[in-house]
Amino acid sequence: MFFLTYLRREMRHRIRQVTFIAVGLAVGIGLVVVVTSAATGVKNAQAAVLHALYGIGTDITVTTAPGTASSTAHGSGAFSPGKASEIVDQLTGGSLGLIDESFVARIARLPGVADAIGGLAGQTDTRLTVPSLSQLGPGGRPPASALNPVTFFVDGVGPAGTRLGPYASGTIGSGRGLRASDATARVAVVDSSYAEAHKLKVGSAIAVAGKSFTVIGTISQPPTGGAPADVYIPLAVDQQIGMGPYGAGLRSRVDTIYVAAASSADIAAVREEISALLPAATVSTSASLASAVTGSLASTASLANDLGRWLAIAVLLAAFAVASLLTSAAVGRRVREFGTLKALGWRSRRIVAQVLGEALVMGIAGAILGVAAGLGGAAVISAIAPPLSATVGADPGGPVPQNVTFNGGGRTSSTPAGYYHTVTVHLTAPVTLTVIVLAVLLALAGGLVAGALGGWRAARLRPAAALASVE
Amino acid sequence: MYTLTGVTKTYSKRGGTVIAVRDVDLSVADGEWLAIQGRTGSGKTTLLQLLGAMLSPDSGVVVLGGKDLTRLPEPRLAGVRAATIGFVFQTFNLIPTLSAQENVEAALVPMRVADAQRRARARAALHSVGLADRAHHLPAELSGGQQQRVGIARALVKEPSVLLADEPTGNLDIDTRDEIMSLLRTLWRDHGLTVVVVTHDCAVAARAERVVTMRDGALSAAAPPRAG
Repeated sequence: MFFLTYLRREMRHRIRQVTFIAVGLAVGIGLVVVVTSAATGVKNAQAAVLHALYGIGTDITVTTAPGTASSTAHGSGAFSPGKASEIVDQLTGGSLGLIDESFVARIARLPGVADAIGGLAGQTDTRLTVPSLSQLGPGGRPPASALNPVTFFVDGVGPAGTRLGPYASGTIGSGRGLRASDATARVAVVDSSYAEAHKLKVGSAIAVAGKSFTVIGTISQPPTGGAPADVYIPLAVDQQIGMGPYGAGLRSRVDTIYVAAASSADIAAVREEISALLPAATVSTSASLASAVTGSLASTASLANDLGRWLAIAVLLAAFAVASLLTSAAVGRRVREFGTLKALGWRSRRIVAQVLGEALVMGIAGAILGVAAGLGGAAVISAIAPPLSATVGADPGGPVPQNVTFNGGGRTSSTPAGYYHTVTVHLTAPVTLTVIVLAVLLALAGGLVAGALGGWRAARLRPAAALASVE
Repeated sequence: MYTLTGVTKTYSKRGGTVIAVRDVDLSVADGEWLAIQGRTGSGKTTLLQLLGAMLSPDSGVVVLGGKDLTRLPEPRLAGVRAATIGFVFQTFNLIPTLSAQENVEAALVPMRVADAQRRARARAALHSVGLADRAHHLPAELSGGQQQRVGIARALVKEPSVLLADEPTGNLDIDTRDEIMSLLRTLWRDHGLTVVVVTHDCAVAARAERVVTMRDGALSAAAPPRAG
């Protein structure tokens, strides 16, 4: 076929220019592959973090702010010294406000909601020694040896808690998990790391709010699981023995509702419905949670999405422009050649097809080189990228809770330990088939754009240009 | 074969309009060998381009074999160039990346000749100009005379009825010029071609049956046909 013979000869003759254009396209394509893959990697990392913070299948979490203390409320974490020192063990909330448990069922009935469960999250068991009045120092300050609180985090898990929420993302190690039949039993599932640190095992006793619980199992959260609770107990029991913010009772109350939407397309609508049902609530989706994530992961996401995308587009456009200009310049140098062909009876469309074919070959070469470069770049990123960290509050979007503690002369406030979770993830740059197809299409498009420009110029040539001069 | 009536062609150039061909009337008989002479810039190449359907006149009529070329759209003109007219250029105009054989084959591409037949006809054409042993050489590997022979083979491989040659020996030495002209004359006789040669070389023009001279775009004189 003469078309291929001519094409092959021309490519060989202009090997330097062909290589230059192909490499230019390859740089642009490679960059697109790398940036897209890195962005996918960052997305995956974000998803891993969000998954860990949210729990399996959770699309939306509903929480409320703890509000302000009433004048009669006995604030959690504040203790009054008496005549003798005493040991106090309280299970208190504080970082999240309380929601009537009936809203769980009401949310479950909303259109687009597949499942909803309630729980008590972010509770802190605090065991401390309150000094006697006589032990207080000047200004009512307790002695350094007093207080010495021991704390751990407790989650109250409802009978359906194995379906959604943080507990659902864990894996039972030894023993067993919570069952519906445990609803009113004083049993606990302990985080495996906490159990190891405190030498707890199945059958051990652990005190929560001064009550003895039997450890029935240990649970391991995934590596990206943020700061999981140390102890999981049945929700109903938690509601009996725990306290909400400012000492509020927990009966028929939850502080977090985990919601799974019927489909991802329903999430936005469900969020609006819940906001209408609970106007004061903070309704967080994975998207809003992502915006609350800070740390190097967020920086990398921003870098990949903003700088990387624009850099890739700029390089790609530059490569297209260079390929187009060089192809057009090559046509300019071949005026006599194309004019001669027209004088021989070649039609314009045949010459345009020849120019397009040459440009397409350069595009294919650019695609092959670009995909190879992109795969190499993605592999390098996966190999050498440092671990990324993500930091997010326990209640993203809500007010940052404050611990109020007694100091003899008044109260001091601080962000509760463990409120901010930092998760470390390893960045990978997975190259998907879609990305490769996109890269190949882009390279071919680059070749076609360049060829179209050159072909348009060739089509406009007059056959008279074949002759040495026009008199 | 050709009838030109009142043909005028102008070009717009910086500073004004140049009349390249001015109100030319010309007839060329079938099988005639016509030479167009004139100084550089006299309009002879433009006239050749008009004969070759590569340019359209601003006014006047160019009839080739009964077809008014001025009324045909470009695709039809391309068809006329492909089937009826063979061109020989002063600077040979061979495609530098193609071999001698492939350059000759290029003339058959628009005629959609099958691959095997195209190759066979190109080989035969090269053989007829004495270059069978140079078929796979690139133009750069051939002498000027050999390149022009390839150019002639390319013009004749499609068996046209008209051969238009623009200064076919302008880039050749005297010996090679005579060789090429002898070859053209033989082919003209063997194939019954109508040949129009543009030249400023009197020795080349002298081989024609008839010579016309151009001056400032107009045919200023017409010599009577000579005996071949």
